[in-house]
Amino acid sequence: MADKETVIGSDTRISGEVRGEEDLVVRGRIDGKIQLTQTLTVEKGATVQADLDVGHLVVLGAVVGTIVASESVKLMSTARVVGDLASPRLTMEAGAAYRGRVDMGDIAAARAAASSRAVQRPAVSEKPAIRPAPPRMATLAKAIVATKASAPVAPAAARSTVTPSASVPAPASPPAFPRVAGAMGAMTPAWAKKKIRRR
Amino acid sequence: MAKEKDTKPMANTVIGSSIVIDGEITAEESLTILGTVKGKISVAQNLAVEAGATVEADVEAQTVTVNGRLTGNVVARERLELKPEAKMVGDAKSPRIVIADGAGFKGNVDMDV
Repeated sequence: MADKETVIGSDTRISGEVRGEEDLVVRGRIDGKIQLTQTLTVEKGATVQADLDVGHLVVLGAVVGTIVASESVKLMSTARVVGDLASPRLTMEAGAAYRGRVDMGDIAAARAAASSRAVQRPAVSEKPAIRPAPPRMATLAKAIVATKASAPVAPAAARSTVTPSASVPAPASPPAFPRVAGAMGAMTPAWAKKKIRRR
Repeated sequence: MAKEKDTKPMANTVIGSSIVIDGEITAEESLTILGTVKGKISVAQNLAVEAGATVEADVEAQTVTVNGRLTGNVVARERLELKPEAKMVGDAKSPRIVIADGAGFKGNVDMDV
């Protein structure tokens, strides 16, 4: 249909919403939202920080955001992707870095969930720095090690910073699993807490 | 890196005819629009709004070539050209302005004289 494919050049940046019914190749940067019926290709060196609703997705660069692909997703060896992913077909090459949840089941449900989530949160307010995805286990292990070292101190210390006068209930009701509670409360950022709790 | 690209006559960024962009585009290279763009466009080199394209945006570029529909204020640092099929509504600011026979234009012209 399209006589020319759409190319976002390497020195071009788009912030906002991109919609279309043709192939889109990104060599530069897009922040916001992309809705495409055909193939989205994120080239090496390109950055896409957007919620994606596409037909096919091929990633050689960096993608941060929720991904819904109605046909397929290919993460090539240079790909770095962070975000939940829903697609009936998924290919991942050796070397690809990915963090998030994969759903190869009901795409319609995933799309509905993604769009409702997109409404709730601000589109591009926060900009997580793109870095090689740290293994989740490492974060967890670090937190556990740290808590082991300071397990008895951590809950009381945390409480005393909030309300210094709350020394009465402190010894009365320690949490059922003080180590875990300490790890979650003190060491782990909010997003990781959510992930850990799901397990 | 950018100098290599200058030698290429082709635009580096192309917005295809079925594409709709709502937001801001910043390009340190040339940009060709065949689809629809709403918002704001800032281009370091040439901006081409091809026939069939619709642009509702404030535009800033080195040279602007319009053969489609453009609504918004245009600042072309070097040259603004309206081709025969162009329909433009908005203020135009550029040291050189070319309007071809057949082109439609409504708005103020500022050539810095």
